[in-house]
Amino acid sequence: MHRVCDIMICAMSRLISDGNIVFHGVSSHMPMLAVIIAKNNHAPNAVHLNIPGGVDPVLKKMQKYTSAGKELLTDASSYLPLAEVFDLSMRGGLDIAFLSGIQFDKNGNVNASVIGDYNKPKIRMPGGAGSAVLIPTAKHAIIWRTKHDKRTFVNHVDFVTTKGNVDKIVTPLCIFKMVDGSLQLESIHSTSSLKEVIENTQFEVVYDEIKITPDPTEKELKILNTFDKNDYRNIEF
Amino acid sequence: MNKIMSIQQAVDLIDNNSVVAIGGNVLHRAPMAIIKEIVHQKKTGLKIIKTAGAMDVDLLCLGGCVASVDAGFISYETEYSLAMHYRKAVESGVVKANEHACYTVISALRAASMGVPFMPVKGLQISDLIGANDYFEKVVDPFTGQEITVVKAITPDVGIIHVHEVDENGNAFIEEPLFDDILISRASKKIIISAEKIVPATKFKYSARKAQIPHFMVQAVVVCKNGASPCSCLPNYDIDKMQIKRFKEIAPLDICGYLNK
Repeated sequence: MHRVCDIMICAMSRLISDGNIVFHGVSSHMPMLAVIIAKNNHAPNAVHLNIPGGVDPVLKKMQKYTSAGKELLTDASSYLPLAEVFDLSMRGGLDIAFLSGIQFDKNGNVNASVIGDYNKPKIRMPGGAGSAVLIPTAKHAIIWRTKHDKRTFVNHVDFVTTKGNVDKIVTPLCIFKMVDGSLQLESIHSTSSLKEVIENTQFEVVYDEIKITPDPTEKELKILNTFDKNDYRNIEF
Repeated sequence: MNKIMSIQQAVDLIDNNSVVAIGGNVLHRAPMAIIKEIVHQKKTGLKIIKTAGAMDVDLLCLGGCVASVDAGFISYETEYSLAMHYRKAVESGVVKANEHACYTVISALRAASMGVPFMPVKGLQISDLIGANDYFEKVVDPFTGQEITVVKAITPDVGIIHVHEVDENGNAFIEEPLFDDILISRASKKIIISAEKIVPATKFKYSARKAQIPHFMVQAVVVCKNGASPCSCLPNYDIDKMQIKRFKEIAPLDICGYLNK
């Protein structure tokens, strides 16, 4: 049986095509590893952008506490600082942005801001970071979230931080895809079941056919273990 | 002009209720020595500006120094997780969270750096942030007639930035990543620099590697080895894990004990 974190990372990695220009931000070990797998596997010409601004870093020592540290610049070939990564997305030059949030609804609304009133919130979240401008401008916004429950996948989000080009949402149970402005079930991980997805989702789970998310391959796992020797990818599980 | 002064003198330049931009990004190269001195001096009503903050903003909130935080993201990232002092201060109504996208903070600082009142932001289209905040407005592009969101300029009264090298005149050099610190230096009315190392005024003159922040933008220079700790200032030092862990565990009333150790 494969681990959920590995299934999620490999699923995200396969959404990257060769030559894609891809960005991930803070708190993003899993997408960072997805980009690294892609570049070392099926998409050698994918371009890896990040917060410190290292373009195509060769990650020698992954840090547990950050996905925005200098190690993403040290062995990079060029420097494109964050402000200019945003500019690139604004002018239509970013293919994929990996982002997260705390609540998602069927219509693709993303909440990374608050639960309750914006001015006196019941829960103040960290905030959407780049989401409010990247989700609408990146050609494909891919959301990942390490929780899948009825408080996360809701009928209506409490607050719309943003809505835009959400393409897929990768969760610990499944992958959702956006079809004609609404979320559909694309595949279920081998570690989960349709019943589990339905029981943990507030909105009605719609699907054409039941597919299983492909498990990680030997090669993908080898790449993961090479770049993440200390298993930091699993700290949220 | 020699601008070297003590950290107390430098922080004296920050008035209560002023707009303060903080350099660095999450746990990287935050000017923590200056932040601690701000808390020591019990500054109040500060309006904090940061793209992505962590312990810096959390400590200022714990110290009761903050009226509002304009930022895209406030958290210690995954391992050290949420900024609980910030969160509690916002949830109890003590601090106003003005949520931006990191890019709208950058755009607001760019507007200030260019002396224009606002900046169009392409991406911000469908978002409750627009209606909930008075610094975003939708306007009509006079050339195409299409609607676009603009963000109001942010001109910090003071920018505080921790750098690797500075000379006595205030010429300051940062080893990449620069994050948004150069922009902060252009947008702010005053700049306070803390630096790992003081270098001779001739160093930048005769080196191919020039300071990125010119002296005339800088009001105060504080020589402060380990001035970003417990945050990182690479390649000099990484985060101090024990200190961050300890800070995250302290109760609000223990702040004096924390600062004095």
